[in-house]
Amino acid sequence: MREFVYDVFARKERGEPLAHIGYVDALDDETARVYAWKTYDEQNWFEMCVVPRSAIIPVNRDDGPFAKGRGGAS
Amino acid sequence: MTFDQTTQRALRRLILSLADSKRLMGIRYSDWLLGAPSIETGIAASSMCQDEWGHARLLYSMLKDLGDDPGAAEHERPDDAYHSVDPLDAPFPDWAAVVAGMVLVDGALYVALDGFSRGTFEPATTRVPKMLAEEEFHESLATAWYRRLATSASDEAKGLLDAATRAMLPPMLAWLGAEDEGAMALVAAGVMPPAADLVASYKARVGPLVAGVGVDVDSVTVAAEWDAVRGRGPGHPDSDACERARGDRNRMLFVE
Repeated sequence: MREFVYDVFARKERGEPLAHIGYVDALDDETARVYAWKTYDEQNWFEMCVVPRSAIIPVNRDDGPFAKGRGGAS
Repeated sequence: MTFDQTTQRALRRLILSLADSKRLMGIRYSDWLLGAPSIETGIAASSMCQDEWGHARLLYSMLKDLGDDPGAAEHERPDDAYHSVDPLDAPFPDWAAVVAGMVLVDGALYVALDGFSRGTFEPATTRVPKMLAEEEFHESLATAWYRRLATSASDEAKGLLDAATRAMLPPMLAWLGAEDEGAMALVAAGVMPPAADLVASYKARVGPLVAGVGVDVDSVTVAAEWDAVRGRGPGHPDSDACERARGDRNRMLFVE
């Protein structure tokens, strides 16, 4: 069963910038939501979102963390 | 609101049924903290286990409103006094059974709790909505995994899911659809919706999913054997699970 990399972004307070807090491997968008919420639950997040790594387009370099694992999500 | 003795007895049975099922569900999830298909799945199982135990604790505490001691209910009942639903009597043998349990057992508990939260028993109206909000993540995970396994290229995975589904549906339909004296008393007092409404809600929730393994939820034969004292089928959870649920082994080390 193929999994995809999703990057997890969150902020603790309204108005704070979203910060990259980690990633999860998931089957699809729905499982990525659950895995992210359950894995990174040590903070009382105001907002959390997940982004398929395949949707992140590197701009100025191709050796950064987001350039890896861009396998394409379902 | 005050309830007559028949309704109080039925309410006690309902609370124990929900609380024991939550506690057993947590134990069954806990078996998969290690050995789940991925690290993320194991973490999710761990979190769901904590949710279920938290829900169980809140539900047991509602017994105080009936004049009962929740501590005795949690720690002093024998195995055959557990009211938990039948599919939780034994460990889930494989991940497909865990997924079926998330959909069919946790799903039935959700439907019952949703009805309970809209009724006339005040503690349920204030405490259950938070449980339901947490359960929405369980449903998301359950639904995604069920669909994945049902459409998997693996005949083994589909076969295991099909077997677990066919084993769990009859007792869960019997549990939600009970119309014995206790269930009718709760409906009459406005504590719970009519059984037909609960069953319809459950079928709408799980029917499209189980159709994925070829099961027509309207054609399932409902389990016939019924223990009206506990509101479930005959039998009880295995001794190991009950020991864990009660906390027998190290209870002597618990210091107030």
